[in-house]
Amino acid sequence: MEKVIIVRYCEIHLKGNNRGYFEKVFQENLERALRGIRHEIRRPSGRYIVENFDESRADEIVARLSKVFGTHTLSVAYKVSADMDSIWSAVLAVAPQDGTFKVQTNRADKKFPLDSMQMNAEIGGRLLSANPRLKVDVHDPQHVVYIDIRENGTALVFGAYVKGAGGMPVGTAGRGMLLLSGGIDSPVAGYMIAKRGMQLEAIHFHSYPYTNLQAREKVEELARILSEYTCGLTLHVVSVTHIQEEIHRLCPAEMMITLLRRFMMRIAERIGKKTGAQCIVTGESLGQVASQTIEGITSSESVLERFPVLRPLIGFDKTEIIEISRRIGTYETSILPYEDCCTVFLPKHPLIRPDLAEVERAENKLDIEKLVGAALDSAETLRLS
Amino acid sequence: MIYFDNAATTRPDAESVSAAQRYLNEDFFNPSALYREGFEVHRALNDARRRILACIAPQGFELIFTGSGTEADNQVIFSAARRGNFVTTEGEHAAVYASAKELARRGMEVRFARLRADGSVDADDLLSKVDENTSLVSVIHVNNETGAVNDVAGLAAAVKKKNRRTLFQSDGVQAFGKLSFVLPPAVDFYTISAHKIGGVRGVAALLRKKGVPLAPLLFGGGQENGLRSGTENTFAILQFAEIAEKRMRDLAAYRRQATRLNACLREQLDRSLFLPLSPENGSPFILSVSARGLRGEVLQHMANERGLLVGTGSACSSRNRYSRVILACGADEQTADGVLRLSFFGTEQEEDACRAAAILNACAAELREKTR
Repeated sequence: MEKVIIVRYCEIHLKGNNRGYFEKVFQENLERALRGIRHEIRRPSGRYIVENFDESRADEIVARLSKVFGTHTLSVAYKVSADMDSIWSAVLAVAPQDGTFKVQTNRADKKFPLDSMQMNAEIGGRLLSANPRLKVDVHDPQHVVYIDIRENGTALVFGAYVKGAGGMPVGTAGRGMLLLSGGIDSPVAGYMIAKRGMQLEAIHFHSYPYTNLQAREKVEELARILSEYTCGLTLHVVSVTHIQEEIHRLCPAEMMITLLRRFMMRIAERIGKKTGAQCIVTGESLGQVASQTIEGITSSESVLERFPVLRPLIGFDKTEIIEISRRIGTYETSILPYEDCCTVFLPKHPLIRPDLAEVERAENKLDIEKLVGAALDSAETLRLS
Repeated sequence: MIYFDNAATTRPDAESVSAAQRYLNEDFFNPSALYREGFEVHRALNDARRRILACIAPQGFELIFTGSGTEADNQVIFSAARRGNFVTTEGEHAAVYASAKELARRGMEVRFARLRADGSVDADDLLSKVDENTSLVSVIHVNNETGAVNDVAGLAAAVKKKNRRTLFQSDGVQAFGKLSFVLPPAVDFYTISAHKIGGVRGVAALLRKKGVPLAPLLFGGGQENGLRSGTENTFAILQFAEIAEKRMRDLAAYRRQATRLNACLREQLDRSLFLPLSPENGSPFILSVSARGLRGEVLQHMANERGLLVGTGSACSSRNRYSRVILACGADEQTADGVLRLSFFGTEQEEDACRAAAILNACAAELREKTR
């Protein structure tokens, strides 16, 4: 009786002619997620079967695969030959100990002597007489025993569906440059966009010596957690210290964040165009802080040309964002108390509705090209697997 | 690189490391083992115990090796402060302070005595908090942030005069090997640590007056007379003994040099940028200053880039931005935000101190200019 893992995928079947491409990328991502674990992945119709692995690592494999976007559900199943005795022994291994249940058979092999209904009745009857604490409930059972009789003379028997990450395979929807701060929102934004299949790179801005090395370590950890969903992640770390010092020296204090955001966009665009990214992804949510008003967004976005900004969290409440961040495992790291660059030189009253003309006038005092160039020179690139 | 953060930890002394090296190599045996090789290690361990004791408490005390100063402090507090009230100070190291907070959380009455501006305890306030129900008093010997020295002998005697049943503990981690001191009979417990004087981390010791009850924190194989179970770190203990003796032998020279470094920095740090927080009569090994209006951690990073390593009283973290002890000295938040702590081993050269002063002056001037 061999343990296998069934991986079912989501929307890929919608994709008509592209289906082969989507399936190929998805399988590559599954393979990548299982790096370091011996396994084989087969693709019978409409799903993937992972087999030939060390059975003690089944849970770890499920955990890793459930983070691969495109995965709808997974099941740990027993693969047996399609005869009553073998199926019955597998059923015993997955059957519940008490409560209500039903048996649900799917018979692809029409030559199997019992049809689905007869099979359900037969196996259900045997379970009832084997364990008096079980009761049948075909409408709302606590447990379901699934029997899948395949055409190749094997049957898969399993007791549960594990929910996968959903979405589309990463790599099927272009490349984006994620602005990754140390906060709660930006990792969630990255997660949401990767879920739709976009391959991400991340860029982090720091203000050492005004911020510390712990803050940077925290961002690397966030990127590492995110990389489990994004099929690896390249992280660019860029110093904006000098830019902040120059804004502080030459521009009105209340414009610090407005102007800094514009520099961040420019730097992200430059790096992105070099590495093949097609857009910027941010964790902005409308009205959450002063720089995230429509005027603030207009101001920061106006420095970009033909380089869209995707804001997957724009309509989310903070509590909703926190909920996702807890679920994907970035929350605990995000709330570590190290400052990122935005809180240094923080004005008491930042501009809430910056006027684009005024912003541009204030910016005229800065040597934008030189500052951007120096920041790009400071960039370090890390690869997180 | 100039390393002026010796109150955090010190570079292990190479000579004593090689003297103790054989306990990592050929004499690696478990000192509890009954074969001859193990017994020899056991004897060396007890010899180290006697040698360290001789450095600080020639008679009347016994020594229990622990894994850290924090562990020794915790063991005393959770053993001795079980009834009535526990009196300590606002100037304790976290090992004592956080333990006191934990006791308070568990429902014990804990009283914190005020500090004077230099970081030493207000003795009158301390004594006024001691009453017939006080089970334990804990006073740090040398304050680890300002270097202020508390008169442990005098305070212990005064506490005993008020209540002879009250036990007296002192954390001497920043004092041992840095000032000339013999444990007086009124002190019941005293903590010392190896890595602040050229030892390695992972070994410290609790000195206990003979006959004073003490409960173990860890249970197991019954090492250290049942007071500290766990296989002994014989290499670190033997190296501790070596360095403790060396430190005591040359104490006057270390102090003289630390005093010179301290004076040099006090003299050469720009007084318009840096306000000294450490008292003139404190430990010469610690000099705390505040670059009032600037942030200590940013200065620390800037100095780091220029090859100078110093400690800081604050951190860029919203939870612990200001040093609790500096605030307890009566400093305002701006002062507490700008704290830098320079601490010496006692062998550094004066020109290092001069260079450090020049680096800090330049960093502070530059930061003031940039953030004006």
